[in-house]
Amino acid sequence: MKFPQNNIIDNWLSENGNPEIARLVEKNLALTEKINSILKERGIKKGEFAEMLGKNPSEVSKWLSGAHNLTMKSINKMEFVLGIDLINIEPITEVKYVYLGLIQGGELENAMNDYEDSNYNIAM
Amino acid sequence: MNNFAHIKPIAQYKKVCYYSVCINEEELSLFEDFIKQHTATNEKKLDHILNWLKVIGNKYGAQTHHFRPEGETADTSALPPKGVDRKPQYTEYGKKKANNLRLYCLRANKHIVFLFSGDIKTSQTAQNCPNVKKHFKLANLITKAIDNAFINKDIVWNDDCTQIECNEDFKIYF
Repeated sequence: MKFPQNNIIDNWLSENGNPEIARLVEKNLALTEKINSILKERGIKKGEFAEMLGKNPSEVSKWLSGAHNLTMKSINKMEFVLGIDLINIEPITEVKYVYLGLIQGGELENAMNDYEDSNYNIAM
Repeated sequence: MNNFAHIKPIAQYKKVCYYSVCINEEELSLFEDFIKQHTATNEKKLDHILNWLKVIGNKYGAQTHHFRPEGETADTSALPPKGVDRKPQYTEYGKKKANNLRLYCLRANKHIVFLFSGDIKTSQTAQNCPNVKKHFKLANLITKAIDNAFINKDIVWNDDCTQIECNEDFKIYF
């Protein structure tokens, strides 16, 4: 069976979709898929995970569905019991100033050939 | 009079192929009609569901926890999954609100999903909701008919079970 050239889902999203909703779905799913894969890797069953979190198993199932609006508190709790970082916040980069000076010279070629430390000191 | 449907391929992603069905002689599939119906009235809720289909289609594959079970007489599912009922991620006018738009479907395996129709669910159960009841019942009927078609080998899997094959004129009676 052949699929149509036009993907109606993609077409609809590019014509009508809200990028904010797209981002939310993508991030929510990425987060819960990561937790699900860690649980699988470590052989932790959902019921055991609920116990670790001190939560009801049905509530944890909803957390892990990917459509739940997870709070910072619940994300933090999962990070704590699993000993992982689910969210990595980029550190604030300090502003670094670069001082540019002018080295006097004629043609570029000459300036490169005549370059001496003393010229650099003048520029400073 | 018996109703019948034929399978229509909808969209192919890296990890999931989506199909739908056209009822009787209709040209538009149930899913295409669902999009058409809800674009005007429930655009944001539809946006959420279509994004969901795209992301799981491209990245994760159709896993059971991505769907909510909605079986009555067959193994029907729906989107979005259950998490939306408690603290939904879907927001409207800045307020958290459940995405009560339902799209009924059949998750045949991790790579193949049949998309049917749906509507805004207004009651606790689909059977009691005047909007979704007919979509819920229809999805269950077609799911059962498709399951039987798999059993009878009228629909077959390809080698790695990532696509299905059937005769072009194959009709599913339900």
